[in-house]
Amino acid sequence: MPLSNSRSTRRFTGKSNYPARKVAAALVVLLGLSQLVLSIHAQEGLAGSVKRGGVIRYGHFQEPACLFGGWVQQWYLQRQYSDNLVARTEGGNIVPWLAESWSISDDKKVYTFEIKPKVKFTDGTALDAQAIADNINGWLSNDPDLRNPTAAPYLGDRFESATAIAPLRLQVKLKVPFQPLLNVFAQSSQGILSPSALKRGLAVNCENPVGSGPFIVDKWRHGREVTFRRNPDYNSAPATAKHQGPAYVDGITWKFLPDQTVRYGSLITGETDAIYDIPAVAWKDANSRFSVLRHLTGGTPLRLALYTARPPFDDVLVRKAFAYSTDRRAAVDTSFLGSLPFEGNGALSQSSPEYLPELGHSYGYDVRKANQLLDQAGWTERNRNGVRVKNGNPLIVRISYSNAFLKPDGEQALQVIQQQAREAGFDVRLQPTNPADFFAGKNLGPDDYEVVLLYWVAPGAEIFRISWKPDQNGETNRFNPSRYQDLTLWDVIQKAEQELNGAQRTALYQQAERKIVDEAPVIGLTVLDVTLATKPNLKDVWLDRGSVGEPVFYDAHFDDGK
Amino acid sequence: MTGSDAVRIVAHPPIVWFARRIFSGVVVVWAAATFAFLIQCVLPGDRAQIIITVTSGNVGPASSAELAAINAEYGFDQPLAVQYGKYILQILHGDLGESYQQHRPVAAIIAEQIGPTIVLAIAALLIAWLLAILTTLFIAGRDNIWSKLLNDTQVFLATVPPYWLATILLVLFAVKLGIFPVIGGNSPIGLVLPTLALALELSGFFGQVVQNEFTRVLEQPFVTSARARGMSDFGVRLRHVLRHAALPGITLSGWALGRLLSGAILIEVVFARQGLGGVLVAATSSRDVPIVSGAVLISAALFALASIIVDLTYRVVDPRIKLT
Amino acid sequence: MSMFAEVTLSRPLREVLAIVRHVPFRIAVCLIIFGVFVLAAMAPKVLQTHDPLAIDLRSALQSPSIAHWFGTDQLGRDLYSRVVEGAGQSLAIGLGATALSMSFAMAIGGTAALSGGLLDSILSRIIDVLFAIPTLLLALVFVTVFGPSVLTEVVAVGIGTAPGYARMIRGQMLSIKGAGYVEAAKVLGHPFPRIVWRHILPNAMNPLTAMMTIGVGQAIIWASGLAFLGLGVAPPAPEWGALLNAGRNYVIYAWWLEIIPGLAVTAFALSLTIIGRHLQDRLEGQR
Repeated sequence: MPLSNSRSTRRFTGKSNYPARKVAAALVVLLGLSQLVLSIHAQEGLAGSVKRGGVIRYGHFQEPACLFGGWVQQWYLQRQYSDNLVARTEGGNIVPWLAESWSISDDKKVYTFEIKPKVKFTDGTALDAQAIADNINGWLSNDPDLRNPTAAPYLGDRFESATAIAPLRLQVKLKVPFQPLLNVFAQSSQGILSPSALKRGLAVNCENPVGSGPFIVDKWRHGREVTFRRNPDYNSAPATAKHQGPAYVDGITWKFLPDQTVRYGSLITGETDAIYDIPAVAWKDANSRFSVLRHLTGGTPLRLALYTARPPFDDVLVRKAFAYSTDRRAAVDTSFLGSLPFEGNGALSQSSPEYLPELGHSYGYDVRKANQLLDQAGWTERNRNGVRVKNGNPLIVRISYSNAFLKPDGEQALQVIQQQAREAGFDVRLQPTNPADFFAGKNLGPDDYEVVLLYWVAPGAEIFRISWKPDQNGETNRFNPSRYQDLTLWDVIQKAEQELNGAQRTALYQQAERKIVDEAPVIGLTVLDVTLATKPNLKDVWLDRGSVGEPVFYDAHFDDGK
Repeated sequence: MTGSDAVRIVAHPPIVWFARRIFSGVVVVWAAATFAFLIQCVLPGDRAQIIITVTSGNVGPASSAELAAINAEYGFDQPLAVQYGKYILQILHGDLGESYQQHRPVAAIIAEQIGPTIVLAIAALLIAWLLAILTTLFIAGRDNIWSKLLNDTQVFLATVPPYWLATILLVLFAVKLGIFPVIGGNSPIGLVLPTLALALELSGFFGQVVQNEFTRVLEQPFVTSARARGMSDFGVRLRHVLRHAALPGITLSGWALGRLLSGAILIEVVFARQGLGGVLVAATSSRDVPIVSGAVLISAALFALASIIVDLTYRVVDPRIKLT
Repeated sequence: MSMFAEVTLSRPLREVLAIVRHVPFRIAVCLIIFGVFVLAAMAPKVLQTHDPLAIDLRSALQSPSIAHWFGTDQLGRDLYSRVVEGAGQSLAIGLGATALSMSFAMAIGGTAALSGGLLDSILSRIIDVLFAIPTLLLALVFVTVFGPSVLTEVVAVGIGTAPGYARMIRGQMLSIKGAGYVEAAKVLGHPFPRIVWRHILPNAMNPLTAMMTIGVGQAIIWASGLAFLGLGVAPPAPEWGALLNAGRNYVIYAWWLEIIPGLAVTAFALSLTIIGRHLQDRLEGQR
């Protein structure tokens, strides 16, 4: 199949490429004005190893409602204009950013950070320990203007206080040890914003947030673009960056191009310098023409969460049978045309440091085994349509999903699963749910689904806390759609969070990981990725792999005099 | 705008006519506002829950305390009559409510997005007329292969789905041939393809109507006499086509407003253009009702305004029409 | 739909035959195209070469060929068979929306014209208000409120296109109401309901028959438009709008997935338009 597919792709582009180049010359003339502006800037660049100047025209996908917040689309934007307390390297090490150094008390409950001196927010406010303390306290308060929807579920019941004990010394106290604290601080949604700017209220800050980052939000033209300009006084680059001081380029034009034909097409015609999310159908073409960056996000993979609180999936045998009955690897490979890998580990995505590769192959396609497990579980009869029946109830599996979370290619993968599971006697019904209904909770009620497709990106296994916290004190964990309640699992997760020894913590997380995969309340499908295609002359764009793969334009520069 | 209005007001002086016209416009807008309010009330599912999920980006039932706070903030816990009164009062102050998703005033959101949409719509209207009049000049009253072909083209254009045509134009002329930019932005050159995509459909409609009208005119005695006086065929056509296109043109342009808005929503999405289209589609799929109902209100107001203008222009262009 | 049949049958058979006998060539072509689509809708199995839902991962994204006339999609499903399969749902949506639209328009427009007076003013205002909201916007309102589904699509398009028809029906009926034969019937003392049934309705329906024929095509285009925006019927159902929406993402590399479903919609709507206009000419000519 890959052979025939690449052939047809090549045939189509091969035909039409030549005229395209010819007319491209005309396009340059038409767009002459904007190109000229760019090249003037480029000439201004200081003599040195790296050319300065130019504005990066970046084509992004979705436009959020606010320039910061809990949605990953908002993290991408916030990464450009704010700095975090600490940074996280690709290997998962925590390195300095706004905090130059830190120490952790023996009881692992008190963190003391030494803050980088002479850093200012771009509105002139000093970035000192007090400013950071104000930020952190705001995230965990109930003030809707300040509350942080990412930090709150991680830290809410562990956090005690954040105080400035000296102008440049910050102290964070916890109620119980929580090792992933620094990971949480390293995520872009926890970028530090100017406290004096935050006083202007959420509405103003959404439009025009103020951080201390390498770029400054210039203007947000809704429905079109956000423009960033360089912060000329930038002096607080993280240790993960390739240089210090202000950014090389003059700014970024962050265009919102939700239609993938327009987005990829604009890169082909040279109207953008970089684009986000390469369409699967263009994956091969993009790799041959452009520089392609890809980050597979950590945290949970894109997975099928099986509703474990009632039949049929309250029986672990049936859960496993469902996993065995489908060739999810083939479904992913075909649907995403090789642009995304299969992920068989339902607990954790492969770029997480605690990932166990052997679990990535769990529950390979095996119809015989699926049938055997179903017989064992008492689903022995089949009705006229070949669907298994137990006590008169057919084995119906309703899969709820929303195209808000799933690309069209993912929907195709589900259609493959639907067809394959039929052989083992599952009657799979897809419940595609429009974002509108999904947000309204349609197909998500306790009796509405057997399977739901969801994900949550994070650097690594600290996500277990969010997924697997059992319902407590009448408060249901709404981030656990499998409704799988396992106190021993929760015990292991909490132990891991309190363990500061890296190897031992990893071992504990992996113990939890094994248990999750073994109990199969979730079944892996694929991962979420961040892909970026850049024109060859735009160098040193990188994805923040220590976090969730946000594009970083701080080190980027144009190369060939453009 | 309707015939009955014209009949009823025949006896009144222009001022009274105008006042009544304005009044009926206001009634239309008020009714649209009531409709917009009703939409928000019949929305199935809990509005507070929708607001919370839309804001946090997470899915799942929120706690009752969170819900209560939102209900109080938006006044959902008050009786409907009170909510309705407040709503109408707000509208009178130019306040169309706040977007659930963007947490900004709907009026501001629409104000910043409607500009490009109106530019696109007006450009398309002009181009559509230009195309319709040109083709009519050539084909009306003639019976040769070209006129048949052009006529069929008009029918085809009036039928073809505009969003599909737009996709083809985009891929062919922007992505493949590179003649036009893929991201048009608000530049004139970027306006070409979206305008064409929108105008072609409309030009088919206009062309068919004007052509019918014009064919009838060409059979009139005064046309024959003009020809007898030695006026060239083309001169006759140009003069009469323009004059006789004017009246149905004005009416049709008013009618086309709705069509243009509908079309623009689709075309803007295809070209990923800034404008009401993208905002409305996003609002529809995230159940951001205040934006959708705000758009309903604004378009009703625009329509009422346009129909007053149409009526006025009618009186100016053709004073003979004493509204009978 | 029932109205369509009613009107055609209520006319003397000989007139209908006369219309059929003088069918010009282009109308014949359109009738054949229309017939093929109706066949596809009623008995898709007759025309299909493959199972429209059968996934064949080895033959994914093939361009049109002898084996797959319209090519295949990403999962190797035969596009031709999917377009055929989609005809049923698309036609049902088009007919349903038009029927709803017409009933709604008859109820409002007809009542307004027949009652006159205050009720007429009120109903006319309501038509004005609905007319002031663009079709697609009105449809979006319904999708926002009720969420996307086949039923919503039918209702949204039906209500969205109703104001235009309502206005037309009202105008039509008003002019007939004032016509000589109606006046004559009144003078003869015929009861009003009977006049409406025997004279006004049939005469008002003539031009509407043509409009409805065109309207079905238009309704399908509106409905596909909603689906094109991702607000329509959900996959894997191969409704035409859903095919158009899915194909849009592949259009640079697999043009057939977008172009061919669009051609199907266009061909169908165009054949209906031409038939409708022909009917219009014939019916008007005979009055």
